[in-house]
Amino acid sequence: MTDAPVIVDADDLYAGYLPGIDILNGCSMRVQEGELIGIIGPNGAGKSTFLKALFGLVPIRSGSVTLGDEDITNMRADELVKRGIGFVPQTNNVFPSLTVLENLEMGTYQRPKAFKAQWERIGELFPKLVDRRDQRAGSLSGGERQMVAMARALMMDPKVLLLDEPSAGLSPDRQDETFVRTREINRTGVTVIMVEQNARRCLQICDRGYVLDQGTTAYTASGQELLKDPKVIELYLGTLGA
Amino acid sequence: MTKRIDRRVMLRALIVLVIAVAAFIALGASGSPAIASTTDTVVAHSAALSNEAPSALTQDTTTVHATADTESSGVGDNRYVQQFINGIVFGLLLALASVGLSLIYGTTGLSNFAHGEQVSLGALLTFFFASKQEVSLPFLPVEFSIGWPLLPSALAAIAISAGTGWLQDRYLWSPLRRRRVSIVQQMIVSIGLSLAMLNFIQWWFGAERKRLTTSIDTRLDLGLFSIGQTTIWSVLIALVCLGGVGYFLLKTRTGRATRAVSDNPALASASGIRVEKVVRLVWIMATGLAAVGGILLALYDNAAAFDVGARLLLLMFAAVTLGGLGQAFGALVGSLVIGVAVEMSTLWIGTDLKYAVALAILILVLLVRPQGILGRAERVG
Repeated sequence: MTDAPVIVDADDLYAGYLPGIDILNGCSMRVQEGELIGIIGPNGAGKSTFLKALFGLVPIRSGSVTLGDEDITNMRADELVKRGIGFVPQTNNVFPSLTVLENLEMGTYQRPKAFKAQWERIGELFPKLVDRRDQRAGSLSGGERQMVAMARALMMDPKVLLLDEPSAGLSPDRQDETFVRTREINRTGVTVIMVEQNARRCLQICDRGYVLDQGTTAYTASGQELLKDPKVIELYLGTLGA
Repeated sequence: MTKRIDRRVMLRALIVLVIAVAAFIALGASGSPAIASTTDTVVAHSAALSNEAPSALTQDTTTVHATADTESSGVGDNRYVQQFINGIVFGLLLALASVGLSLIYGTTGLSNFAHGEQVSLGALLTFFFASKQEVSLPFLPVEFSIGWPLLPSALAAIAISAGTGWLQDRYLWSPLRRRRVSIVQQMIVSIGLSLAMLNFIQWWFGAERKRLTTSIDTRLDLGLFSIGQTTIWSVLIALVCLGGVGYFLLKTRTGRATRAVSDNPALASASGIRVEKVVRLVWIMATGLAAVGGILLALYDNAAAFDVGARLLLLMFAAVTLGGLGQAFGALVGSLVIGVAVEMSTLWIGTDLKYAVALAILILVLLVRPQGILGRAERVG
């Protein structure tokens, strides 16, 4: 941990989709400004639920989330976007009937005047999207959709970007490209919290990693430390190429 | 690319339309004695709709005593073309109601069974404001006469109908969504609401058919077909309304947000769109459009009864499904297909079966193209 201020503080979260059934059971996380955080863990550990709870898509029954000094627990997603949080879901992350350009326009829905400048900025980061601006997003490949989804989230110039398994379903090449892009985005000053199934690749690029198990935070350390942790290797990374 | 894809679909639809028109004209030119015995098909739609007109007739000039008759004098030279034109007109008017139904389905997932009553409400509220006979408000013993001209009456009816859309979403549908009531449960609520509204409208306006205007429509003979002046105005108004909806959805930021909500409400919210606000706007638009549809159908049909919308509901659902579920433009295309099929079918089969023809076409199209005419199959992976 550095001495950068804490930007997201999730404290002892209990949350779930159905009444009385908690997926998160006391999950906590402190994220500093400019960090790239990777969240790994087995299936059903509550990784995606944690991200959705931060973004107000899953009701938090107990615990709190703060953004800077502001309590944002259970705040509506559109309010969170206004406060500088962007979210890229794992699936269904584009508007299929809208063109690429229209998808990105939705990213600046709250600040329409910023669209032109943001489009130029995003065009430099994702040049391929400029060529496909008039193509319907539903006709894009998985990798291209992921690009559109990330670009849409970046259109609002977020302080914090939440990525839910950005490499899921992509070819190895595309996965690499996605991780490189994620790091590039982080280097522009955006704090990134990323849930990933590809634990090894995730830990390689992240500043710190959190290991979730059964809805609670099992371990946290720097990405490099977790890569060398025997228990993490045994449970989540396997032994090859450790 | 998208524009190219859209153009391709539109071009395909246009080609089918042109071929159909050419075929009908050719058929008509060759003559067909088989249809000579057909009863007045120009008013087939009117006649069928008025079959259920109750026998309790009053002396009121704005209450219809029998089958619509003002259009029966004008039959074009070519019955095929005449019926085709009638079908296009009916389809356009049906589209006004169907587009709203489709927008509601697209943005909320709800198949709103109470949408038909919004159509009836629009027509009968216009009667309420325009009628020179004494009318009353529900639960009030006072009778009075308003007698406004048709246009302000229609505008007032549309405004009130749109207001009912706001009310419904504010106090019924929005709380149900917030409480995460399943879509099937919401649909059952809409069936209940439909019955409640149907009975309420009947109790308020009575069972007899009401005419919105007492003036006799003059027909223009255009050679192959004839058309009433009121119908021309109705078509123009429908085209302006549908064009307005199209412009709103394609060219305005809120319209694009509406399409975004229709695609994926959760993602729309994650993009900063106030989904509830968009849905409320859709309810207002949908109920307003249904009212316009109801008024114009009542003018086209010479009168409206309390259950006019209920009888059209299945056709609206057919149009929405045929065009592609949740696709506003699909609802327009679906309505036109249904309208033409319904009207043309009366050339060969009894008017009692014409709605069955529409539903048969729905089944056939879905067997060939499950996503509907304008529905798009999404790429996977």
